Amino acid sequence: MPIVLQNILIILLAAWMAWDNGTGVQLIGQWPVCVGLVLGIITGDYQTAMVISGTLQLMSLGVAAFGGSSIPEYGVATIVSVFLAVRTGANTGEAIAVGLPVGMLTLQLDILVKYFNTFTAHWEQRLLHERKFKQMQGVYLLSVVIWMLKYVFPITLVVLFGAPVIKSITEIIPGWVTTGLEVAGNMLPVLGVALLLHYMPARKYLTFLIAGFVLAAYLSLPILAVALLGGGAAYWIYQQRVASLKPASAQTVDESGDDYDE
Amino acid sequence: MSNEVKQNQPPRGTVKQLSKKERNAAFRRWTFVAGLGWNYETQQAPSVAYAMARALRKIYPNDDDYIEAMDNHFKYFNITPQMGNVVLGATLAMEEKDGLKATDAVQNLKVSLMGPLSGVGDSIFWLLWPTIIGGIAGYMALQGNPTGAIVWTLVSAALYFVKMGLSKLGYSSGTKLVTAFSERLNIFTDAISVMGLMVVGTIVATVVKVYTPLKFSTGKVSLSVQTGVLDKIMPALLPAALAGLTYWLLGKKWWTPTKIILLLVVISLVGTFFNILGIAPAK
Repeated sequence: MPIVLQNILIILLAAWMAWDNGTGVQLIGQWPVCVGLVLGIITGDYQTAMVISGTLQLMSLGVAAFGGSSIPEYGVATIVSVFLAVRTGANTGEAIAVGLPVGMLTLQLDILVKYFNTFTAHWEQRLLHERKFKQMQGVYLLSVVIWMLKYVFPITLVVLFGAPVIKSITEIIPGWVTTGLEVAGNMLPVLGVALLLHYMPARKYLTFLIAGFVLAAYLSLPILAVALLGGGAAYWIYQQRVASLKPASAQTVDESGDDYDE
Repeated sequence: MSNEVKQNQPPRGTVKQLSKKERNAAFRRWTFVAGLGWNYETQQAPSVAYAMARALRKIYPNDDDYIEAMDNHFKYFNITPQMGNVVLGATLAMEEKDGLKATDAVQNLKVSLMGPLSGVGDSIFWLLWPTIIGGIAGYMALQGNPTGAIVWTLVSAALYFVKMGLSKLGYSSGTKLVTAFSERLNIFTDAISVMGLMVVGTIVATVVKVYTPLKFSTGKVSLSVQTGVLDKIMPALLPAALAGLTYWLLGKKWWTPTKIILLLVVISLVGTFFNILGIAPAK
């Protein structure tokens, strides 16, 4: 694919991602591996796209934006990191060292847009009272466009001016920083783990947490195998619990039946 | 001008029914805009208003009725987008049935379902599922294998039908759904967290990596702390310890996730600088 076309598609991907993720995931959300998949198709460099997006995916595991809260924009980080690695040949550590800070900065834009939307919301309601119903919907669509700009703006800057500028930045970054960030990348999935343990009934089902750990650490079972076992356990527990819902009413019938028999 | 329009209008209180097609169009609108235009004051309210704008116009042909009904939907609302389908399905049924008399009930239903349904919805759609599939797909991607990512994308696309189904469920069961639906959903969340916890255990053992290049040397004998000591005690000892520490920190009020990210990055940078932490050599 010609470079210009690739660049246009990458900017469109940023707009798509803002919509996709903002509506609670339609196709790719801003999940790094899914965004990476699309980037692999656009740039033709699957290997690089998958390895970098896989690293970011594991780093961001369990970190979710609940109820409109703001988190580092991992989707933007993925686009920037993969773009950089494909165009300049930067290694995974260098690419993420640049991509992640851009994702963090985009977070500020996210907050700005959410403030601005307070204004568009009032504008829409004012138009409603002025009986300008068409314009009311139009202003909402305007706020959607602004929503998309929060990703389109940083990505466009990176795509237009980025590669050479960022390349020179990565050359200044000392080796221990990129290695250090790689070390951090290896550690960060632990945050997702800890968050999940707080949200999930970890104490109640501690057995399964330990089982998962032992199966992987001692028996070296791949993650998919453990997930399948977990799915089996989940199915069993679901069946048990649903079955225990019904007997509450069924039992009373049985008991009265027994009484008559005796 | 508004007077002219008014004269051709049906009287206040006229309530019309939606066709199935129009109803689905409203559900589809929500599915495709939920959460866009999110603002700090009323949060998802503009999305709700936009999603309902056309359907409510049909239900309330009178301008004043329409404005009153829309005003109601411009009030604060925030929910996991997928769960919003259930709630808006139910409110649409109420408005079709009782018109503006349902306004207070609609508002009450929205407010009372927001919290509990988001609790379940966030766990399933934003935590459990992304962690399980994300762990698998991310691990595959590291080896250059896109299979996990492809499966994830396909499942996300298929969820469209689930969302539309949830709308119809909300529409047909209305307020009854509060008890029946959320009871089953709670069991489902509880059961699926078993799968999540097993995957989390695996992630601690394989995905989280903490490696120290430290060596003890006494005279001619040098002992690698990692392979000679830690790995002998238990595989993945440091990741497990780090998980425990992070879990404990999160329990403290001051430690937000963002602060913990920063802490981990600083520890990594300092550790790498002093050669206490490093990347494990490929086996």
